[in-house]
Amino acid sequence: MKINKKAPTWSKLQDWFVEKLATHNGGISPIQNNEKSVNLPSGIEPLPRSDYQSFLEKASRTMIRFKKPEHLIKMIVKTIDEQLKVTHTAVLLYKEDKRSYILIDSKGSEGLKIPIGFIRLSVDNPLINAFSEKQSYLISETGILRYEDVISSLRNRDILEQQAELYDRLLLIKKQMDLIKANLCVPCYFKRDLLGVLVLGDKISGENFTREEMGFFVTLANDAAMAIANALLIENLQQKIEEIKGLYLREHRIFIHTAIALAAAIDARDPYTHGHTERVTNYCLALARELDGIPEMSGYKNFRETLQIAALLHDIGKIGVPDHILNKHTSLSPEEFEEIKKHSIIGATILNPIRELSDVAREVRHHQECYDGSGYPDGLAGNNIPLIARIIAVADAFDAITTNRPYKKKKSVEDALKELKRCSGSQFDPVIVSAFLLAYEKGNIISNGKSNYSNGNGTSNK
Amino acid sequence: MRKLLVIDDESDICDFVKNFFQERGYNVFTALNGDEAISLVKREKPEVVLLDVKMKGMDGIAVLKHIKDIDKKIKVIMVTALEDRDKMDEACRLGACEYITKPLALDNLEQAVEKNFKLQL
Repeated sequence: MKINKKAPTWSKLQDWFVEKLATHNGGISPIQNNEKSVNLPSGIEPLPRSDYQSFLEKASRTMIRFKKPEHLIKMIVKTIDEQLKVTHTAVLLYKEDKRSYILIDSKGSEGLKIPIGFIRLSVDNPLINAFSEKQSYLISETGILRYEDVISSLRNRDILEQQAELYDRLLLIKKQMDLIKANLCVPCYFKRDLLGVLVLGDKISGENFTREEMGFFVTLANDAAMAIANALLIENLQQKIEEIKGLYLREHRIFIHTAIALAAAIDARDPYTHGHTERVTNYCLALARELDGIPEMSGYKNFRETLQIAALLHDIGKIGVPDHILNKHTSLSPEEFEEIKKHSIIGATILNPIRELSDVAREVRHHQECYDGSGYPDGLAGNNIPLIARIIAVADAFDAITTNRPYKKKKSVEDALKELKRCSGSQFDPVIVSAFLLAYEKGNIISNGKSNYSNGNGTSNK
Repeated sequence: MRKLLVIDDESDICDFVKNFFQERGYNVFTALNGDEAISLVKREKPEVVLLDVKMKGMDGIAVLKHIKDIDKKIKVIMVTALEDRDKMDEACRLGACEYITKPLALDNLEQAVEKNFKLQL
């Protein structure tokens, strides 16, 4: 018998679980709520022999339904304590972090009840090793280690004279059993891993345990092992999910901050548009709250996120427009205007190679389209312009009107709103314009329009 | 007879440890708090004390100080649930002879107590 004295590894458990799922004959999943069907043997009078056996059988079948192995173990300990009248019962469970078997539940008469969490057996404890020896001489065919057998082996002259090593080991095992006053030690195996040990003291009546009783201990121990393994698997799964979530959130944060940094780099080139990206992003998010629930949103995998990133990066293509054109104080020549118009295409070209940003690239390309088809670069009209691009168009225009530009002075917020209304249906999607007006009325459009922009006071907070 | 005092605010632990050492021929007293412990130290003059660090009311460190004020020769073994290095260093300075971490191995507990009784002789 080859046994590893450690808890099963993640992959082993996974294999087992998949195997059970595939064959449909595994234990009932601890994920589901099965409590209703569980019979807790609380407050039950000791039953006649044959009855308690059927009771234990029934109990063992419901065991694997426990979500928390601790509950199951408490039930096992309680059942044995109530039905079998032993001096004490205890369960030791393997804890990976302590590399030891820790006592997790115990019952018994005063002084014999081992306090929970008080003792441990390390993985190299002779008692634990008794279960992992290759040719275990000591373990009976039932798998149980009996104090009686240890004593009779120690009395065996052959062992004393010819197998000194075994004799010494027996002495160490006897000592460990003495320490915890164990009459029987029942291993809880999952496959070949020793997950725990059920420890039983003496029967109060002084009788020996019968074969039948020992058979039940083995059944209980095996079922407990199954439940523990199930619970470990679920715990592991949940942990993995949390880890992945954590990783995703971290990456996502880095990603958003990268987008913000890029946007800041664009803004920094042009003192006139300082804070522009940030304001447009804020307007867009306020607009999105008003538009919440419109059917087009469901076309996006993650609407809010795509909107936020597209808004942050909508002008990234200006990186490819010469400074002298961007900062020109007089009106632009047609050639220069053509240069400016390239920025939405350049932006999309920059973002396109990033697979995760292909949605964003499309929105950036079209944020200068007009609702009536008169915009650029592709002259798309109506709902052929993607939703986010239509939103950015309105937010972008509002900010352009309410801030100073090289070629024109800023206007008041009221004038800007009038302008939006005037162009609703021609330049802008009427739905978006009314959403913008609504957001403004609710006080969700916080512009710098009324403050002195030139010293940068009016920018909203990060 | 070798006198051992067990101080722990959990009665299960007191009972179990008392039983454990009684069977090994010790005269065992138990105390559930610092005040009980101090009066027992004065009255029974145990040679070795097993002292839980984390207790409600007077904690193990305070109890240790009192015991050492009463009699410096008493050997005190600290029992702690957590690996609190600073606390254990403090206990050491105050004269505790060693510490055992819970969950503990019973043979270590037995050895520690045995060894300290031998040192007493």
